[in-house]
Amino acid sequence: MSRQLLRALTAAAGILLGVGVVTGSAANLSLTSQNFTPYRTCTITATPATTTAVSDTTARQGTPTTNFGALTTLTVSSGNAVNQRVYLRFDLTVCSPAIPASAIVRLATLRLYMSAVPAACRTLNLFPVTAAWVETTLTWNNQPFGTTLNNPPTGSRTGTFNVGTPVGCQNQAAGYVAGGTVTADIANFVAGTATNFGWMIRDDTEGSATTRTATFTAKELGTVAQEPQLVITYVRVP
Amino acid sequence: MSTLRRIVVVILITAAGAVVGAAASLNFASGSLGAATTATPRCTTAGLSVLQNLTAGTVASVTVGALPAACGGATLQVTVNNGVTNSSGSAAVPGGGGSVTVTLAVAQAVTAAEQTDLVLVGP
Repeated sequence: MSRQLLRALTAAAGILLGVGVVTGSAANLSLTSQNFTPYRTCTITATPATTTAVSDTTARQGTPTTNFGALTTLTVSSGNAVNQRVYLRFDLTVCSPAIPASAIVRLATLRLYMSAVPAACRTLNLFPVTAAWVETTLTWNNQPFGTTLNNPPTGSRTGTFNVGTPVGCQNQAAGYVAGGTVTADIANFVAGTATNFGWMIRDDTEGSATTRTATFTAKELGTVAQEPQLVITYVRVP
Repeated sequence: MSTLRRIVVVILITAAGAVVGAAASLNFASGSLGAATTATPRCTTAGLSVLQNLTAGTVASVTVGALPAACGGATLQVTVNNGVTNSSGSAAVPGGGGSVTVTLAVAQAVTAAEQTDLVLVGP
């Protein structure tokens, strides 16, 4: 074998070795497919008691010009001239990082701690408020939805749950109530298609002959384990 | 050419071939990754309920519910960030789905807003 041929063969061997390295690197770069499900949740809790991230108060028909924003309880009542409604608002801008407008809201749940349960099963409805209100000045007479009973109509509610001691009622005992789903409202607030003025909660049938009252904990109580909460679960769109 | 010289030449040529090969490999990989996208498979797109379990004013664990059976066997990773510190934990989702409670490595103080990141890996 001539020296030139030997050199050529040697060079060829070197290049082939290099190609071998190339093949190995390419194989190592292959990706492995894996299921991956990312969610993000923002939980807003009415704490501390002085927080401005949450506003809550009760409008009382029986004392129509008095503000009850400083009370430690929120009450929803149906009765003869003693109806009561709860106004509640969570500031979504406290979520950090902010919920992007393009986010898809998968589930939003309003959590209220019920401290006193009515003896009859009562349906409570949530209505998104359409005008601004202030926790420290709202009264029965100046509330955004006006003083007419059973207004707005049940058909315009965006959330509902029921409370009461009778068997079969959804929430029969003290504790956080289940069923306060407000996903569609939060989706509208996040997307900017509706302004977040919070919700009004009223009895489905105001003006009952026998007074029925559900009592919830207000932020002013200062007990973290009983504070109003809003839990928003969403996914981000790339 | 001496035998030693020949060996040196062989080593140099081999090394040169390897370097050129590696560069070609990187270029190829880059072009391949940028050329296409693919959807990452997910076991659910439904709304999951997320409940903070409190102990003495802190979030000690998180219960995630409404997990469908398709997520059974997945690993649920949870990270809670209260704006000051964060803590994580993980747990396996039961075979039939349902709910799973993830205990955090360090309980987090409850603040006005907490962020909870949930990631289901698998099944």
